[in-house]
Amino acid sequence: MKKSLITIVGAACLTAVMGLSPVFAGDTLQVKGSDTLVHLSSSWAEKFMEKKPASEVAITGGGSGTGISALLNGTADLANASRKMKDLEKDKIKSQGFEPVEFIVAKDGIGVIVHPSNPINQLNMNQIKQIFTGQVNNWKKYGGPKAKILLYTRDSSSGTFAFFQKRVLKEKDYSVRARRLASNSAIVESVSKDVNAIGYVGLGYVAEAGDRVKALKVREGDGPAVSPTQETVKNDTYPISRGLQVYSKGQPKGLAKEFVDYMLSAEGQQIVNDRGFVAVQ
Amino acid sequence: MVTSSLQSRPAKVKKRMAQDRQPEEPPKTVVKDGKMENEIIQVKHLNFYYGPSQALFDVSMSIPEKRVTALIGPSGCGKSTFIRVLNRMNDIIDNTRVEGKIIINGKDIYQPGTDVVTLRKNVGMVFQKSNPFPKSVYDNVAYGPRLHGLKDRRKLDEVVHRSLERSALWSEVKDRLSDSAMDLSGGQQQRLCVARALAVNPNILLMDEPASALDPRSTTKIEDLIGELRAEYTIVIVTHNMQQAARVSDYTGFFYEGRLIEFNETRKIFTNPDHKQTEDYITGRFG
Amino acid sequence: MTKKQLSDLVVKYLFQIAASMTVLIVALIFLFLFKESIPFVRDLGLGALFDVRWEPVSYVKERFGIYPLFLGSLSVTFLATIIAIPFGVIGAVYISEIATPLEREIFKPFVELLAGIPSVVLGFFGMVVLAPIVKAVFHLSSGLNALTGALLLALMAIPTIISISEDALKSVPMSYKQASLALGANKLETIWRVTVPAALSGIIAAIMLGMGRVIGETMTVLMVTGNAPIPTLNPFESVRTMTATIAAEMGEVAFGSVHYSSLFWVGIILLIATFILNMIAQRVLKNYKRRPHG
Ligand SMILES: Nc1ncnc2c1ncn2[C@@H]1O[C@H](COP(=O)(O)OP(=O)(O)OP(=O)(O)O)[C@@H](O)[C@H]1O
Ligand SMILES: [Mg+2]
Repeated sequence: MKKSLITIVGAACLTAVMGLSPVFAGDTLQVKGSDTLVHLSSSWAEKFMEKKPASEVAITGGGSGTGISALLNGTADLANASRKMKDLEKDKIKSQGFEPVEFIVAKDGIGVIVHPSNPINQLNMNQIKQIFTGQVNNWKKYGGPKAKILLYTRDSSSGTFAFFQKRVLKEKDYSVRARRLASNSAIVESVSKDVNAIGYVGLGYVAEAGDRVKALKVREGDGPAVSPTQETVKNDTYPISRGLQVYSKGQPKGLAKEFVDYMLSAEGQQIVNDRGFVAVQ
Repeated sequence: MVTSSLQSRPAKVKKRMAQDRQPEEPPKTVVKDGKMENEIIQVKHLNFYYGPSQALFDVSMSIPEKRVTALIGPSGCGKSTFIRVLNRMNDIIDNTRVEGKIIINGKDIYQPGTDVVTLRKNVGMVFQKSNPFPKSVYDNVAYGPRLHGLKDRRKLDEVVHRSLERSALWSEVKDRLSDSAMDLSGGQQQRLCVARALAVNPNILLMDEPASALDPRSTTKIEDLIGELRAEYTIVIVTHNMQQAARVSDYTGFFYEGRLIEFNETRKIFTNPDHKQTEDYITGRFG
Repeated sequence: MTKKQLSDLVVKYLFQIAASMTVLIVALIFLFLFKESIPFVRDLGLGALFDVRWEPVSYVKERFGIYPLFLGSLSVTFLATIIAIPFGVIGAVYISEIATPLEREIFKPFVELLAGIPSVVLGFFGMVVLAPIVKAVFHLSSGLNALTGALLLALMAIPTIISISEDALKSVPMSYKQASLALGANKLETIWRVTVPAALSGIIAAIMLGMGRVIGETMTVLMVTGNAPIPTLNPFESVRTMTATIAAEMGEVAFGSVHYSSLFWVGIILLIATFILNMIAQRVLKNYKRRPHG
């Protein structure tokens, strides 16, 4: 997702918002990483700098891997990641003599979406798994129309892809026929146009899409069917949710610590909710 | 030398020329040894304009069939413009206008509805700078016939052979037919252009200074070629070389500032011209 | 040594250094690619690249077969070129030979504008507008496939082909056209039998450059081909190109991992493919120049 639309739009927004802040200044806090977190981080940074006018926080996208490697080689103070840090990455930080420190700064639900005209309203986790692995490829099987299922997933590079694979597919491989799109908005766009499509996107995108797509209720085993909302993600009744994290090399200090504290503060968490994610407290 | 003499020429020369001209003169008919020639091209009161500027003024002349007619005159006097009028090559220049009549084989070629393709097939043209296509020798000569629908390989071979023979090039290129025409010498290239023009079987061949870019030996070859072609073709040749005009042509027309000053048998023009300007030009006093 | 000789020598070295810079940079890029690609060979062996599946993120078995990606790039590039050639060449002929000056004035800025459209914008257009059209026209389940990608890429290659072919056509001497017209050819016959063949080497170069642009393009294919690594040449299937793979995965991958290293192999293969394409192009041009055209 390195050069995805989001990055570019994100970068453009950032430039506008931050008024060409100098990225080279020594006391500038550099935050790099996940594109999922770019918008949220920018909002935090904006409000944070309003409160502390002397400080500079620069947010850059590029992907979780990019962020973590920037953290490793010292070009970033904090790394945004939509996936957990891998052992390989942890080892590298340890070999530099630091402990990787993780903060879960927000929660995100992943909504499973279909075309609004699809008669199916709910699926259980196993059914979703069978659809995305390609074991079931016709809607008829689950009481829908007789039509081939069109699969949309995020690209294999995205943290969401890996999370969904682990949580829903139970570590099985996706169907090779699944079309892999670079962004959440691309999936919303495509699912809204294809009657037989199914895909998944972050909670914020489900809300934003409105009537253009339908978010399925999801059941875990024989449990109740739950819609993806901020409420159900927060109280852990919606089964497909994950944390979004910020990593630092050793305990954060100075500006980095203040910024992390701000993210986790009541005000910071309110911003999380405003941006369509779910607060952790 | 041409331009400098033109520039230094006093204004009165111009006046005298104007007096010499008789505006309502009928088309000049050509009579050789007391016999009327068959006039294949008749030009009547031709005016030609490039946009607002007039390049030819009231030119009237009759060009006899199967003779060589040379056109001479100082640079810029309209010789090229004139021969391009004869196969309507001026059509491709924007903003040009023709007045008067050009009758070839009894037909006014500027009549609306004239088939330019047939006209140009009938009136071939060889240019000052040889311009073979960047194709093989064979494909150059076969270009015209193919264009006009000849596909049969045997017939094409025959046309190519005959045309190259007629342009006195066959013996030199018969083993190089599939070589690029660009590899031939300048003189050979020009004769190839003649062969290419002959391949579509024209009656009339227009040549605009065909030898001016060639060395003396190639020039001689072209002149010999013209000598041989005269029996079958009507040839109109533009030249700056007086000796060449005298050597190859039966008739000569002298152009000056867009007007045809004198048109007569070559012998007469070169020995005893009617007009003083003609004499001055031929003897090298100007132009 | 005189002062002049000395300055000549200095100038010569300056030029040499400037020229060697490109060589050096290319060499450095190669070195970098190979250095980063070594861990893969060490951990999995070269053979792993010849797998038929590209499944770099998997809890079952990570698979790094470049084959489907290669086929993806191949089919998209080939299709795009086939689509772009007629439009590019006809457009160039129109601009240089047929259009009136006014028409040219109107037409040319649009070609330049098309060349200047950022590929993301084009990709977005492809996703929102073109893909549904392709889907409807061919009665497909999804419009995100190789054909849609190829159509967009053709759109990117066309301005390149037009402007370079146009230059080539313009440089055909007027005298050829005159000779053809004087033999009784009309304008169109002259164009197809003389002008275009005489400009063919330039037109081929234009097409090759267009292909170069297409094969290296990332953003548009990333957005509209669906990116499923299916090993296929079917234009109605989703494909994942090599460029899209690198662009999509490089950002998220853990640096130094096998996956990371495998992306450099994709880069190397892409580089080799481009290199071969260039060599063929040079070959074609050289042969073409030696033989008479037409
Ligand atoms: N394409 C053109 N557009 C405008 N004017 C032209 C064009 N071609 C020729 N002329 C003008 O028409 C006049 C006659 O030109 P033309 O070429 O017929 O002379 P020429 O007798 O053939 O000269 P030369 O002996 O130098 O070839 C000149 O004043 C020339 O500048
Ligand atoms: Mg001339």
